[in-house]
Amino acid sequence: MALLEVENLQVHFRTPVGVNRAVDGVSFHVEEGETLAIVGESGCGKSVTSMSMLRLIPEPPGKIAGQVRFAGRDLLKLSDKEMRAIRGNDISMIFQEPMTSLNPVLTVGRQIGETLRLHQGLDAAAAEAKAVEMLTLVGIPAPERRVKEYPHQLSGGMRQRVMIAIALACNPKLLIADEPTTALDVTIQAQILDLMRDLKHRVGAAIVLITHDLGVVAEVAERVMVMYAGRKVEEAPVRELFSNPRHPYTQGLLGAVPKLGSSLSGESTRLAEIPGQVPSLTKPIQGCVFAGRCAIATDVCRTWAPALEMKAPRHVAACHYALKEAVAA
Amino acid sequence: MLGYILRRILSTIPVMAMVGLFVFSLLFVAPGDPAALIAGDQASPADIERIRESLGLNRPFLVQFGEWAWRTLHADLGTSIFTSLPVTQMIGQRVEPTLSLMALTLVFAIVVSVPMGVVAAWKVGTWVDRSIMTFAVFGFSVPVFVIGYMLAYVFALRLDWFPVQGYTPITDGLGPWISNLVLPALSLGCVYIALIARITRASMLEVLAQDYVRTAKAKGLGQRSVLFLHALKNAAVPIVTVIGIGIALLIGGAVVTESVFAIPGLGRLTVDAILRRDYPVIQGVVLLFSFIYVLVNLLIDILYTFLDPRIRY
Repeated sequence: MALLEVENLQVHFRTPVGVNRAVDGVSFHVEEGETLAIVGESGCGKSVTSMSMLRLIPEPPGKIAGQVRFAGRDLLKLSDKEMRAIRGNDISMIFQEPMTSLNPVLTVGRQIGETLRLHQGLDAAAAEAKAVEMLTLVGIPAPERRVKEYPHQLSGGMRQRVMIAIALACNPKLLIADEPTTALDVTIQAQILDLMRDLKHRVGAAIVLITHDLGVVAEVAERVMVMYAGRKVEEAPVRELFSNPRHPYTQGLLGAVPKLGSSLSGESTRLAEIPGQVPSLTKPIQGCVFAGRCAIATDVCRTWAPALEMKAPRHVAACHYALKEAVAA
Repeated sequence: MLGYILRRILSTIPVMAMVGLFVFSLLFVAPGDPAALIAGDQASPADIERIRESLGLNRPFLVQFGEWAWRTLHADLGTSIFTSLPVTQMIGQRVEPTLSLMALTLVFAIVVSVPMGVVAAWKVGTWVDRSIMTFAVFGFSVPVFVIGYMLAYVFALRLDWFPVQGYTPITDGLGPWISNLVLPALSLGCVYIALIARITRASMLEVLAQDYVRTAKAKGLGQRSVLFLHALKNAAVPIVTVIGIGIALLIGGAVVTESVFAIPGLGRLTVDAILRRDYPVIQGVVLLFSFIYVLVNLLIDILYTFLDPRIRY
């Protein structure tokens, strides 16, 4: 049994113009200690997927359906109280915006200690001692001083380190990182990624990494799931995906990355773009979700939605022509 | 921090000086001649002139102001034209009911209105939110005396839960003191509650959309900690500000409330003094109320730095 098994996850939002199917029937799993990256462009449903796993989507207007089994328990069926016992304890989350994700009026120590007091029943003094320990672990200098400081006294990189300290304080089994490095400078990004990789080995937590940055994926992930318009279009081990992308969308994504596309897949060095726009999620889509932007789409694609198929060992893709493409290449 | 508090305290001095100047000028801009008033209806112009001279009212404005300011600083507010009693003594006798009423209203209003605003923001758009906001509009629109008479009719005359009017000093026991003040505090509090609840709701709505609220939820915190610790502390600055500004509402409302419930407080003293043009008393009361207002807002300014660590002056 995998640590996390998501089955047919659907997250729909009621909006004035119709139901927005932000996530429409996505299934995936994460093994213990594994790092799964979920990639896709803005609005593909990757953040909504991650938030709905912890049930952080406001309902209404949102509506989550399907199954999210964590260590065998379906999180979507738990009471609010049971869910709260899991948040920040068994599963914790790091967000995109370190500048705004910390509470500006509470000290760093308080914010780290809070989860420890809540989930592990530590008293104030023990929680603060552990907070200092956590700050040391995430590489913040002078932790005894920093623990008493407020977020505005820290830089962006330090704040993200604090977020990681909060997330890891209770030794979670699963860490969901939603674009953890997007808002940071490139050099700080590298530091944070190194830190996450290092801590992953030490703590042994599984990671679901949400990102649109394929460079980050190549560095830390073991397996990659590609999402498009609220659906999973491809999934494969990271090396396999980079060297042998089967879905035209994934190929487009890799082609649109300045360095990685050319160095890994050996294609032309010209930067490719994916023409067109993501289809509206408020209207039913007939056929393949990517057909409108796909260079090789045919009438078949526009009529029948392709199912996810095993295209190679551990490699699935949802494309009528994926296998042919791979053979031809 | 200490430097800031000290500077903030010092800055109240020019404010109080301006208030003093304004209060003293009342005597000159208001219609009616105090000397003629003291002399009475039968006095001849010569009598009035004599009184004016004996009171020093014929001297230059600034000289009179300087002398008045000097006396005021030594806690001497002069004597009442009507009762010939020292103004400080008259205020001293009346200050307890008014301060009791204001303090009780303040505490009661904050305890009720802040949770109301928080809940309204949390349940925004639902019937809970709408009923709270309807009450807020109602509380804001209905005059104090209407609410006062309605409450007195229902809870004092019909149900006989509380006395209709009057005041019992706190030295006579906490129970009677409170029971006499419940209805006045309720009527005076309505406007104030409406005001604070509205601001709390608006401020909370903004804060609840922030990323750190999502972080707090992701940590597994319960709804109460998310709302009342993580969100409310961030929403506190505008709320506290409006509580401070609202003290002016309380002062104005206290005058009316005291009339409705026959409380022998400063409000009644003020009204009586105005009707009799008893200028020293008017000056003393206005000065006292201004001082309270400035003091409360000073405390609130200092409170800011405790509520939000980013605020440093």
